[in-house]
Amino acid sequence: MTITDSTPPLSKGRTLSEGGRRMSDETFIMLLVGGVAVGLFLIASVMVPNFFQLLNMLNLVTNNWAVISLGVGVTFLLVSGNFDLSVGGIVALSGVLAVWFAQSPDGANSLSTGLGLPYWLAVLGAFFGALAIGAMNALFVVRFSIPSIIVTLGTMMVARGIAQVITQGSQRNTNLPDAFGVLGNMTVFGTWVKLPVFLMVVLLVVAIFIERKAVFGRLTFWIGSNPIAANLSGIDKGKHVTYLYLFSSAIAGVVGILLASEFKSGYSNRGTLMEFDALVIALLGGVAIAGGFGSVVGMFFGAIILAVVTSAATGLVLSPDWQYILKAIAVFLAIMTQTWALARRNR
Amino acid sequence: MSGNQHSTALSVEGLTKDYPGVRAVDNVSFSVGSGTVHCVVGENGAGKSTLIKMLTGALQPTSGTMTVKGVPHRPNNPNEAREGGIATLFQELHVVDELTVQENLTLGMERSRFGFLVKSELDDKVIRTLAAIEPSIDPTARVSSLSVAQKQIIEIARAASSGASIIIMDEPTAALSEREVERLFGVIRRLRESDVTVIYISHKLDEIFSLGDAVTVLRDGKHVATKPLSEVQGRSELIEMMIGRSVFQNYKPRTEISDDTLLVASGLTNNLLKDVSFSINRGEIVGFYGLVGAGKTEIARALFGADKVSGSIQFKGQEVGHSPKKAIAAGIALVPEERRTQGLFTGLSIRENIPIMNLERLSNRGVYRSNVERDAAIEYINKLSIATESIDKKTEKLSGGNQQKVVLAKCLFSDAELLLLDEPTRGVDVGAKTEIYDIIKNLADQGNSVAVFSSELEEVLGICDRIFLLYTGTLEDEIINGANVDAGHILNVVTGGHEGAVQ
Repeated sequence: MTITDSTPPLSKGRTLSEGGRRMSDETFIMLLVGGVAVGLFLIASVMVPNFFQLLNMLNLVTNNWAVISLGVGVTFLLVSGNFDLSVGGIVALSGVLAVWFAQSPDGANSLSTGLGLPYWLAVLGAFFGALAIGAMNALFVVRFSIPSIIVTLGTMMVARGIAQVITQGSQRNTNLPDAFGVLGNMTVFGTWVKLPVFLMVVLLVVAIFIERKAVFGRLTFWIGSNPIAANLSGIDKGKHVTYLYLFSSAIAGVVGILLASEFKSGYSNRGTLMEFDALVIALLGGVAIAGGFGSVVGMFFGAIILAVVTSAATGLVLSPDWQYILKAIAVFLAIMTQTWALARRNR
Repeated sequence: MSGNQHSTALSVEGLTKDYPGVRAVDNVSFSVGSGTVHCVVGENGAGKSTLIKMLTGALQPTSGTMTVKGVPHRPNNPNEAREGGIATLFQELHVVDELTVQENLTLGMERSRFGFLVKSELDDKVIRTLAAIEPSIDPTARVSSLSVAQKQIIEIARAASSGASIIIMDEPTAALSEREVERLFGVIRRLRESDVTVIYISHKLDEIFSLGDAVTVLRDGKHVATKPLSEVQGRSELIEMMIGRSVFQNYKPRTEISDDTLLVASGLTNNLLKDVSFSINRGEIVGFYGLVGAGKTEIARALFGADKVSGSIQFKGQEVGHSPKKAIAAGIALVPEERRTQGLFTGLSIRENIPIMNLERLSNRGVYRSNVERDAAIEYINKLSIATESIDKKTEKLSGGNQQKVVLAKCLFSDAELLLLDEPTRGVDVGAKTEIYDIIKNLADQGNSVAVFSSELEEVLGICDRIFLLYTGTLEDEIINGANVDAGHILNVVTGGHEGAVQ
């Protein structure tokens, strides 16, 4: 990658395509965020004993598979100019539904009594429950033109509220078939990599491909950059945003099902604040809150920054109680740096 | 009637405003009598708005003086102009919907004690002013419940009660219905009786004759005449003064027009358009000419499926669907009126802007063909001579003319057979204008059809083969362009002089 600030003479085909090619702002921010993530990791390695280990590096990613996965859907929606605050609620809802559907119907009390569906059907039902919340988001945002931040704030509470009713404010973890605990704990390809982590990697690869190479990704940028012009250019914005909400809720639904399987329980407070973590890592990764700008890779590095900061600090001197303060500092610093760097670059 | 009818409220001496390469207002001198309604007329680009901007402090003159009631007037901003006694009624209204009429009238001038609002003599004053000019408005009513015309009257009352001796009104009737216009005129006449001077700018000549005491005509930035309207011999004399010369035009009849009809629109009707019908042939450049609010943009958007309209639109013998997506699929493309908000993705590069209207050509089973995109960008940058050093330059950093070319490139990439261009050269420099005209002609020569929607007479007379004249949503006349086209007739029609008045 070469960065040239000199201005070559215009026209003459070749200079237009190759010679004067300047790194895009997206690439610039991505490298910036990536650089910060690596830099922070190195600083933490110097300061914290035993931090610089391969296993630790991998843990930074694998421990955050859920938030990173949710971040993919949230990033696409943010780029299109829409919020999704409902993903945390959906995680709770789909997990609780999966457990409730799978619990056998002959429990001793109401919390250990479920519908007794076969496992695959329970999972499918939970997945559709998640999609229903996504469809609700799309309906209100697209059809009734209500600001997405309000709609998804509402559906966040709807989803968690339903989960809370089903679990009676507690959790359901008895009377489950043995198969229920398999998905969230199984490893793939005979390695120690767990299925959820593997799925996260697949999701990232697919998302990066869609963002960079598929028309679907470009449509997202067009809509986020200027919805009016997109409409006048023949883009069906409503349809596209509907897809985005459905995808985001589908990801959240799968995350919820996998988490429920990992812990073999349906817990109505699971995924609390995950929607904000997903938003934070997207913003840390340079996604513009106004839409039209951002990248999945940036979001990934944003997650690493957040993970390094919190894990290094808790391994250092501070108690885990400090994690929100540290997150806050990281967010402010990162976003100020990006704004400053972009303004400087485009001066 | 007031006694000092003949004293001077405002006089302007040798006023000049230079822009780089252009003299927008050139040595203009005239004076306005106190307590009169003084009209200012001229074609687009005659210098009316520049003149007004200097009076209201939005622009500073290059040379010349302005005097208000004998006091030199040289405002640096609109507030200073207001203190000098000149208030302006802008086209977009500055009222707060959530407050009452009275609260709006005293907005920014409230009295308070210990942080609480108290009643002051100002409240009585504004109520008296409002009652004098429009008794039917209740001061305690919420502004959101009022009509556009009533809101306008609130603004006028605010200007009058703030002690302004001169109120400038720029096209105040553009958004009003006929009855509301009458009401506004009543207000203006009552203002005149209370010795307020009104400077009235309008394209609608009928309004000028029914309202004005005197008229100032501007043409190409120069002052043509100032005289009492009683001495003006009807519309034709006014129009003659506005044009003054045969309109510059270099139209050459084109031979590439076929008899093959491409589009037939019949009975287009919506809240502005009234039963508009026309047809466009292959290879033809048609123009839609009319004032602001005549319905040009509405027709363009209706043809493109962007707005709902009743009536039928047949393109190549088939009904066009009611969405931009369907219109593009059928072969119609629109360059919208506002390129920055409606046409461009300003945060994206030239390369990313161009291909949006033709995703089929751009992709292979949903996967992007970036080489097609790159080649298209290079092709159109060269073809339309877009001045840029890179295809990856963000479009927000381009000049107006180059931005417009990018929007044009978007439409060209869609392979449309009918291009709708809404104000294609607004805010574009002269050089780029000529280039855009050449692009339009080339397109038509290749068998495409182009419809130009414009409020610039020179533009439609320069490139269009056939011109439709619009006035307040009605298609009044159709003109074949040629050497002996009558510009006076065109101006007469688009200013509302078609029916009855044979001049």
